[in-house]
Amino acid sequence: MEQWQIALIMMIGYLAIALAIGIFSGRGRDKESLTEFTVAGRNLNLFVTWFLMGGAIFSAFAFLGAPGWAFSRGAPALYILAYLALGILPWYFIGPKIGKIGRTFGLYSLVGFLKKRFNSKALAIIIGVISFFAFIQYLAIQLKGMAIIFDVMTEGRIPFWLGALIAYAIVVIYVATGGLRAAAWSDVFQGLLMIVVSWTVGLMIVNKLNNGTNSMFENIIADKPGFLEIGAEGSTMSPMAFTTLIIVSAIGLLMWPHLFSRSYSSKSKAIKQTVIAYPIFTLFLIPLLLVGFAGVSVISVEELGDPDQILPYLVTTILDLPGIVYGLVGAAALAAAMSSSDVITHSASLEFTDGVIRNMKKDLSDKEVLFIMRIAVVTVGALAYFVAVFGGQGLIALLAGAYGSIVQFAPGVYSALYWKRATGPGVITGLITGFAVNVYYQMINTDTPFDIHAGTLGLIANIIVFIAVSYLTKPQNMEIADRYVNINEMEEETIILNREDVN
Amino acid sequence: MSRKKFQRAYWITVLLLLSSFIFPVFELANKPYPIIMGLPFSFFWVCLWTFIIFIAVIIFHFIDPDNKREE
Repeated sequence: MEQWQIALIMMIGYLAIALAIGIFSGRGRDKESLTEFTVAGRNLNLFVTWFLMGGAIFSAFAFLGAPGWAFSRGAPALYILAYLALGILPWYFIGPKIGKIGRTFGLYSLVGFLKKRFNSKALAIIIGVISFFAFIQYLAIQLKGMAIIFDVMTEGRIPFWLGALIAYAIVVIYVATGGLRAAAWSDVFQGLLMIVVSWTVGLMIVNKLNNGTNSMFENIIADKPGFLEIGAEGSTMSPMAFTTLIIVSAIGLLMWPHLFSRSYSSKSKAIKQTVIAYPIFTLFLIPLLLVGFAGVSVISVEELGDPDQILPYLVTTILDLPGIVYGLVGAAALAAAMSSSDVITHSASLEFTDGVIRNMKKDLSDKEVLFIMRIAVVTVGALAYFVAVFGGQGLIALLAGAYGSIVQFAPGVYSALYWKRATGPGVITGLITGFAVNVYYQMINTDTPFDIHAGTLGLIANIIVFIAVSYLTKPQNMEIADRYVNINEMEEETIILNREDVN
Repeated sequence: MSRKKFQRAYWITVLLLLSSFIFPVFELANKPYPIIMGLPFSFFWVCLWTFIIFIAVIIFHFIDPDNKREE
């Protein structure tokens, strides 16, 4: 049997197992329950929460994009480790707080969270639409990643459009049927696979191409001075760009609705423990970055064409590895892309339904909402598929743009939790300003002042407008604001009151 | 420790940790030599601080007044 056939069989085997896990984990649960579909009954434990948070981040970007960045850009790739380690930290406080608010008001989305606090339908619709488009871009990247894997691993025998279609069909099937719990258990399986493969194959590649990492880096320093520094001669990024990229990504991380909503589905103990265990996930990125650096001495960026292909390229062409390794790498990369696709699809359908449909059409029963969410799963997937296959270039740029848009939710979310004087009109005008500034500097005039990241510029404008307009408009309904900001203290009072009742 | 104090200590620590990854503090680490544990110095620095974050959150988890209350 030829190498690519072994690889193909293994990848299909992986997809079959992932599908089976997804479908079986949803069995025995109430299929018609909205709470089960959206937040898995609000009782996921540490183990599953950790993999859900990790699996969502370690997407096709981590498996293909991170080596690609190390390979083509050098030291700036370190930003990925930095923002992941930092971005999770605020969750220690805001996660349990959002969870309590969610239980009190019966919420399951980012849209619902802000709509309740600021009592604004317009805000809900804007957030629903922005996150919907950001999600489509994010998902298109994953589909593209899966298609690259099928394409390179089978040496071009599965065309791009077909590879993306196969993988996506499976995601849609298990998210639409199983909801969050299906995605969660598949993520556990996929996460384990990714960790094992990235370490073993990553170190194998480094050792085969160079005699260990010491000599590998010595060679890079000798051949490409400045490549391992930021802002030096020969470097690919300025200190300001590096700094603001980390800031925008670290703040933006928890604003992605699919990560934000994990606050609802997990207990507060599990949230805190997840924050502790999270940096372990970043450790698994290290070998992937090393693979990218290993590629530097092998081939130039111009020859390879697309830097994102460096990992599969090294596995299939340069190294004479057995077909089983092909298959393992293929399966792990598919796992990386799938574990993000499932939660993204799930969350996109929630936010869109909650933000846009529910505010346009009232009086929907839980059953109808559930039906619309399932339709939305299929639709989001189809749109992303078309962007991936026909969208051509510029996808990576659009993903960076997606982060710049998502981070604009931050002032609204943090003020909902900590600042009573914030008002709905303030959040809306700030959000629109920030979004517009970001889009302007991402798409129209990419030459930003001082080389500051477009999303950070948008965020600064956003905060200024938001604070100014909040003070100029009438204060919000204080009862809701108070219950949001002081939910921890209120809960304590109820506990004390209950105790007194017992006594 | 009261909850307010604990929260403030946590957020200040987060800002301190953030500063080690960004300029100007990162300038200290922005060089390839010395190579430590097979990694260029900047790479090693980022891994080291990731590890420090891990330790810091564990410490915070132990002194978190909310956790004692829940037991």
